[in-house]
Amino acid sequence: MATATINDTELLRTALVGDVTSPVLGINPYDVSADGVPFVSVGAGGVCYTVRVGSAADGWAADQVEPGASIANPDAAANEALLLHACVGNRVTVRTGTAAGARGVVTGKHEAFHAYKHVLVHLAPDVLDGLVPGDRLLVHASGRGMTVDGLPELACHSLGPELWEAWAPERAGEQLRLRVTRVLAPEVVGMGSGRVSGATSIALQAGADEALHGLRIGDIVAVRDWDATYYTGYHEDRVTVGVVSTGDSPVLGNGPATTILLSGPAAALDFEIDATANLADLLELA
Amino acid sequence: MSAPRLNTDRLVEVGVQAEIAHPSHSGTYSVDSYGRPIILPGMAGVVANARVGDLVFPWAADHLEPGVSAGNSQRDRYQALQFLACIGNVVRVLNGPAAGAEGRVTGKHAFVLVDFPQDALDVLAPGDALLVRAVGQGLRFVDFDDVAARSCSPALVEGMGLEARDDGRLRVQVTAEVPAFMMGAGLGMSSEWANCDVMFTRREVVERLGFGDVRLGDVVAMHDQDHRYGRGYRAGMLAFGVVAHGGYGGVPGHGMGVATIFSGPRQRFEIVRSPDANLRNHLDLAD
Repeated sequence: MATATINDTELLRTALVGDVTSPVLGINPYDVSADGVPFVSVGAGGVCYTVRVGSAADGWAADQVEPGASIANPDAAANEALLLHACVGNRVTVRTGTAAGARGVVTGKHEAFHAYKHVLVHLAPDVLDGLVPGDRLLVHASGRGMTVDGLPELACHSLGPELWEAWAPERAGEQLRLRVTRVLAPEVVGMGSGRVSGATSIALQAGADEALHGLRIGDIVAVRDWDATYYTGYHEDRVTVGVVSTGDSPVLGNGPATTILLSGPAAALDFEIDATANLADLLELA
Repeated sequence: MSAPRLNTDRLVEVGVQAEIAHPSHSGTYSVDSYGRPIILPGMAGVVANARVGDLVFPWAADHLEPGVSAGNSQRDRYQALQFLACIGNVVRVLNGPAAGAEGRVTGKHAFVLVDFPQDALDVLAPGDALLVRAVGQGLRFVDFDDVAARSCSPALVEGMGLEARDDGRLRVQVTAEVPAFMMGAGLGMSSEWANCDVMFTRREVVERLGFGDVRLGDVVAMHDQDHRYGRGYRAGMLAFGVVAHGGYGGVPGHGMGVATIFSGPRQRFEIVRSPDANLRNHLDLAD
């Protein structure tokens, strides 16, 4: 087997900015859990000091908790571009505030239906302590347009060249061999079907597959019979690979938001189950 | 066996303002499940030639909403319409050449979907004012505490011929049963809001799973689906709904929309397959 290669010399590096968000709630703050119990949603938006990439995805008193810093561009169209162009593994620089100059890494994306679209950024704990909503972050975006040499049928999304290098997929004949923590059944996908693959996340529904047990934020996972070439949806004989970006959810049909890395024919993809196929290990996040 | 007891005499009926929504467009192409750029009609406005009772799929359409799509341009009023309107409710046209015509709520999507007689559909236009006589929110099956009614009017329950069996199960007639892995866009949303798509966006999948004969307005069962407090996967739960929108359209992850009407534990139901389990029969819709 040989290390697989991408069109890295063709990829642009562009600058996009997002501001650290702050949590939002409606006048009536209650959501309802799968068991019909009202709760107040905690964990999305702003800065989270508690939960980090590498933490367990479940067991938090939270709804899709976003690890580290959650950013968005205040202009809706610019935010769409930020969501499409920022890729997992891309470097980030804090531009304003007391943490200015600090460096971080894009770890995922998170979309809530008819609410918000966030890019999630890992930063060291002492940087997070100094970060406040409104601080501006610069994303050194690269990865949109990535193709895998010799496998044009694979669609790459939100996959930064930095992650590709660390992940180091191998080429075995006509197949790409990827390290993932688990391969999941198609019915795990809840909210997120029918979304634009490059800009968004899909939720993994608790209870739909025992293989979800022990899931960590940052885990790279594969979903069988699922396509994300353009939009996300069921397609037998295709596989989609993503990275777990948020914690679990008490809401029916929701769960850890998972950012799409690539998708393609099942015949072109081979998987090695590896518990260390997690962003915290691959990108050596402090 | 007998009809299930309902709390119908405790329900409040309210008049809710609506208007026929105009179609809108992003100005660019979507992409179908075969990777082709598409621009297809189906959502909003008036679809005069595809009605409840017609086949779901053989239309060059995406998210085909049969009959009339009722919305409200004010966001808070729109939300009230979405959550208060129930399938089976009576709707009246308030102005225009079809003023006085009476229809029935037959589904939900981004709009509340209403079937009117053909002579009204032929003249109705976006902007025409409608009044929905909304009743059903708060409906309970008195002897089935663990079954939750959602967007379901008492008239629909009566029209469906639901039967409470002596063994404590509810007998429900359906035309088809949907496996959990086909449930797509709409999971994770409120039970009452819009509907949940069954991911039929490729003709070969419709054929392979045997759904080619399904009709708009059919009652279907959805396996391992809990639609009581939102919509999602849960082993051993069942949800029932009516086919609200169709078309071969094709944005992946979308497909045939099913609006939830009730949901509960699997063991509380007896499923009976019947080709007649369609709103056209259940609501006695006018031609």
